[in-house]
Amino acid sequence: MPASRRPASRATFTFFGQIRPDSFAEFAAHRAARLSIALDTIAVDATAARLRVAGAPDLVDAFEMALSLGPADCLVREVERNDND
Amino acid sequence: MTGTQWVPLALARDIAPGTSAGTMVEDAEIVVWRDTDGRAHAWEDRCPHRGMKLSFGFVRGDHIACLYHGWEFDEGGICRKIPAHPDLEVPGSICAARYGCTETGGMIWAALPLGTDPIEVPALPDAVPVRSITLEAGLITVADMLLNEENAVIEGALATLDCAHGPLAIGVQPIRPGTVALHITTRPGASAETLLAICDWAETLRRAAEKEIAA
Repeated sequence: MPASRRPASRATFTFFGQIRPDSFAEFAAHRAARLSIALDTIAVDATAARLRVAGAPDLVDAFEMALSLGPADCLVREVERNDND
Repeated sequence: MTGTQWVPLALARDIAPGTSAGTMVEDAEIVVWRDTDGRAHAWEDRCPHRGMKLSFGFVRGDHIACLYHGWEFDEGGICRKIPAHPDLEVPGSICAARYGCTETGGMIWAALPLGTDPIEVPALPDAVPVRSITLEAGLITVADMLLNEENAVIEGALATLDCAHGPLAIGVQPIRPGTVALHITTRPGASAETLLAICDWAETLRRAAEKEIAA
């Protein structure tokens, strides 16, 4: 079965590090749109961004990788992932 | 550049079916490629995955594949295959940015800048490609030198003139400040000797333009 037709993967991520909230939120929204992922931004501050996402499993993984790199003005040091929240 | 404008990217002859080439217009990097059915395409020269130049990639039928991770894009710019995820039905949101593209007058043209509304496609008469040449000189310098020729007119990015070897239609491509490419064509039926003479004329023009800049 094509990956995108498998049940959507749902996960909640918390990205810890040096976060510029506006920049990180914009980056997350852009990447989510590019990957056709539903994004719910729960909270973002200077030390952490908590995001809930749903989409094709491979693309949720790609989202995690992209956000772990983050925009140029943020530094992600740790990622916490909870699947099927 | 203000508003939407058609800009020449290459002589049509120089982009063979199944090949790609990188070029620039005012510092914007563009891949011009031709699918195996002969249709020309002009896209941003950047894979949406990791930013690799698509001009380094491979044309496969009506797709172009990125050299880096093999992401494959159809003629509409939509990613259709990610080799690392063979079972993934790639969403249409993963796509490369395309310019409007057409072929006329023996040249491939792109509508710039990205994302602007299409404008009327220029309809140019049939022409014989001579050569493309890059000049390390500013656009105004080059335009002034072209306008010194007999019956010279510049409309948009197209210069028409009569040099000593016959009528020319020249696409003017501003690559970056201080660098201009000229895509030179002439009328059908020109002899091989005439084509060589036009090449010499172009070399002379380049030397003169670059000498003027250096002075």
